[in-house]
Amino acid sequence: MNDLLKRAYVRRLLITLGIVAVIALMTGPPGSNQAPTSGFTGSYAEHASFFGLFRTQRWVVFLFLGLIVWGIASFIIVYGKTVRHSITRFFTVPSAATASSRGVDDLALGKMSFAGSSRNALVSSIAHTRSLSRQRSVRYGMLGALLVFAIFLPRLESSAFWQAAMVEQIAVYVLLAIGLNVVVGYAGLLDLGYVAFYAIGAYTTAWVTGALPLPPLFGHALNPFFAIPIAIFLVMVAGILLGAPTLRLRGDYLAIVTLGFGEIVTIFANNLYGITNGSLGSQPIPHPSIHLGPIKYVWTLKPVPYYYLALGFIVLFLIIFSLLEHSRVGRAWTAIREDEVAAESVGINPLKYKVMAFAIGAASAGFAGVLTASQSNRVYPSSFTLTFSINILVLVILGGMGSIAGVVLGAVLIQTVTEFLNNGQHWGYQASDLYIYLGALLIVMMIFRPAGLIPSKRRKREIQVSEADHESSHMDEALLGDDV
Amino acid sequence: MSDILFDVEHVTLRFGGVVSLNDVSLHQNRGEILAVIGPNGAGKTSLFNSLTGVYQPQEGTITFMGRDSKSHSIIGRKAHRVANYGIARTFQASRMFSALTTFENIKIGAESHKGIGVVGAMLHGPATRRDEKRSDQRTVELLKFVGLTARANTIAASLSYGDRRRLEIARGLATDPQVLLLDEPAAGTNPSEKIELANLILRVRDEMGVSILLIEHDMKLVMSLAERLYVLNFGGVIAEGSPAEIRANPVVIEAYLGSTTEEAESA
Repeated sequence: MNDLLKRAYVRRLLITLGIVAVIALMTGPPGSNQAPTSGFTGSYAEHASFFGLFRTQRWVVFLFLGLIVWGIASFIIVYGKTVRHSITRFFTVPSAATASSRGVDDLALGKMSFAGSSRNALVSSIAHTRSLSRQRSVRYGMLGALLVFAIFLPRLESSAFWQAAMVEQIAVYVLLAIGLNVVVGYAGLLDLGYVAFYAIGAYTTAWVTGALPLPPLFGHALNPFFAIPIAIFLVMVAGILLGAPTLRLRGDYLAIVTLGFGEIVTIFANNLYGITNGSLGSQPIPHPSIHLGPIKYVWTLKPVPYYYLALGFIVLFLIIFSLLEHSRVGRAWTAIREDEVAAESVGINPLKYKVMAFAIGAASAGFAGVLTASQSNRVYPSSFTLTFSINILVLVILGGMGSIAGVVLGAVLIQTVTEFLNNGQHWGYQASDLYIYLGALLIVMMIFRPAGLIPSKRRKREIQVSEADHESSHMDEALLGDDV
Repeated sequence: MSDILFDVEHVTLRFGGVVSLNDVSLHQNRGEILAVIGPNGAGKTSLFNSLTGVYQPQEGTITFMGRDSKSHSIIGRKAHRVANYGIARTFQASRMFSALTTFENIKIGAESHKGIGVVGAMLHGPATRRDEKRSDQRTVELLKFVGLTARANTIAASLSYGDRRRLEIARGLATDPQVLLLDEPAAGTNPSEKIELANLILRVRDEMGVSILLIEHDMKLVMSLAERLYVLNFGGVIAEGSPAEIRANPVVIEAYLGSTTEEAESA
C-alpha cells in the first residue's frame, strides 16, 4: 500500500478523484435528510447525450471525466517535454541547431555579438541571431494569421448571440485583462479595485454625451468618439491620484486600499443622484459616428461594427503594452517586482514606476468603459462590482500573469466557454454556478500550473527560483544575516 | 575641485532606544580605498545604509562631494536619489534580480539612472533604440570587466557566490558611480575567489577611477586592500589610520582584535 502511494501517478489519481468528488458535491442538487448523497446519485437524465453516459448517476459521469483529466495530465507530465521539444524543433531551421541548443530563453543577448570574445562564441552568436529572426518571422506570421482570423470571425459566426458576446463578453474582458496585466503582471501590484477605472470610463462617456443629470463637459453633448481620449485621460489621472498616495504600501495593504477604491467609486455612482442619476442609470447614450468629409459612418445597435472598433483598440493596446514590456520601463518594473531595495540602489524610483503602471494599466479599462457605455446605451452602477474586479483578476492569473499572449488566451477562452454555457441548456449548468467552476479551475491551475496557461518567462523563473530558494534561504540567513 | 567624497559629521542613528551609530565622524578622499571594520553589531551596515539613504539618521550631516559646488546632503534623501548622485553599493546578502539573466541585471543598472521616457519606450523611436544600444554595449563592457561574459545568459539565481558578488559590482558600476560601497564582498567566497575579488576591486579603482568604501570581516583582504581604515565599535569610531597603524593601535587590539590578534593575523 505504502509502495503504491509513493508512485507519483497514483498520488495524482487520488488527488484528481478527490477534486472530482468535491466538484460533484458542489455542483449537485442540494442534499436533504432523506437523500444526503444526491450530489452523487442524481442524474442528468433530461439533457442526456454522449452514448447515454449522462443518463446514468452523476458519480459515473464525474468518475469518467476525472479519469480522462488524470489521463491527459499524466500524458502531459510524462511526454509533454518531448512533444514541446519536437514542436520547437519543427519551428527552428536546421542550420541554427547548435544555437538553439543554447536555449530559446536567450533572447536578450541574441541581438548583439561579443566583440573580442573567442571566435567560436561569435560564430554561435551570429547563428543564434539568424535562428532568432526565423523564430520572429514565424511568430509574426502566427500573429498575422490570428489577426486575420479575428477579422473574419464575425463572418464565420453569424448568430446574433455570439456576435453580441464577442463584443460585450470577450472584447471588453480582453481589454480589461491586458490592462490589469500591466499592473499585476508587470509591476507586481495586486489591484482589487480595477473595476473603478472601467466605471470611470463608462461614466465619462455618459457625461461627455450628455446622458447624465450633470451638464455635459463642453456645454453640449458630443459624439462618444470624443469620449475615448477624454475617458482614457481621466482614468489615467484617476490612476495617478489613487497611486501616488497608496503605492507606498506593499502587498496586502495595497490590495485592501485598492479594494476600498473600487467600492468607493461604485457607491458614489449609486448614491450621487444629482451627478450619476444613481441606481436608475444614465439616460440613453448615443452610438458613435464618424463624419469626416466624405466618410460617414454611424454605429448602430449591431454588434459587428463595435467588434471591429474594439479589435482595433485591442491591437493598439497590445502593441503598446508589449513594446513597454520589452523596454527600459518593463525591465524597471521587473526589477522592482523582484527586489525593490536592489532596484532603488541602482537609481530606480519605485513609486514613480508603480504609479506609471497604474496609470497605463487603467488606460485600456477607460476605453473598455467607453465601448460598453456606448454599445449598451446605458450605464448602471450595478455593473461595477467587486466580483467584476476579481473576475478580471482570475482571467489574468489563469492566463499567465505578465504574459500578454497568456492573458489574451485566458480571457478569450474563459469568456467563450462561459458564454457557450450561458447559451441555452448544457448539462444542467446555471449561470450562478460559474464561480464554482472558476474556483475549482483556479485551484487545479495553482497546483499544476501556477504560472498560468502561457506563462511569462520571467514569472515562471521567479516561481522556480522562489521554490529553489525556499530551502536554502534559512541557511543563508543564519550564515550571513541581512541588516537591510 | 574637491578631494573629499564623503564627509560624515557627528552622525547619530537610533532605532527607538537602541543607538546604532553614536556621533560618528569620518571622511573619504577621492580615489581612496577606505575600509570600515569592526566586530558584529558595531554599526558598519547601519553606516552603509545611512550613506545610501536607506536609513535616515536623527542627528549629524552626511555630505557627498563635500566642497564641490554640486555637493549633496544625503540625509533626508531617498535611496534612488542617492544612487543617482553617483553612489553605488552591493549588499551583504547579495540582492539580485534573481529571475533575470546576468546580462539583464547589469543592463537594468546601466539604463535606470537615466530619465524615464515612457513615451519613447511606447513608440520605440530612434532615440530609444540608440539608448538601448548604448546600454547593451556598456553591459557587454562590464561583463568583460568583471569576467562574467561566459555567464551572460545565466539566470542570476543559479550563479555561484563569487559570481553573484561580481554581478553586483558590475551592476553598481553600470550606474557610472563616483564611489562603490561594498558590504562584505568576500562573505561566502572561497580563497581563490577572494584573490580574484581583491584584484577586481583594485582594478575598479585603478581602471575605472571609482573610489571604494569597503566593509569586511576578512582581515587579510582588508589589510592588503585598504589604504586607510576606520574601526567601529558599539556604534562609535574608536580608531583611524593606515593598516600598519591600526594593527599597532593598542585601543584596537584591546577592543576589537583583543586576545585574538594572532587569529586575526592568520585569518
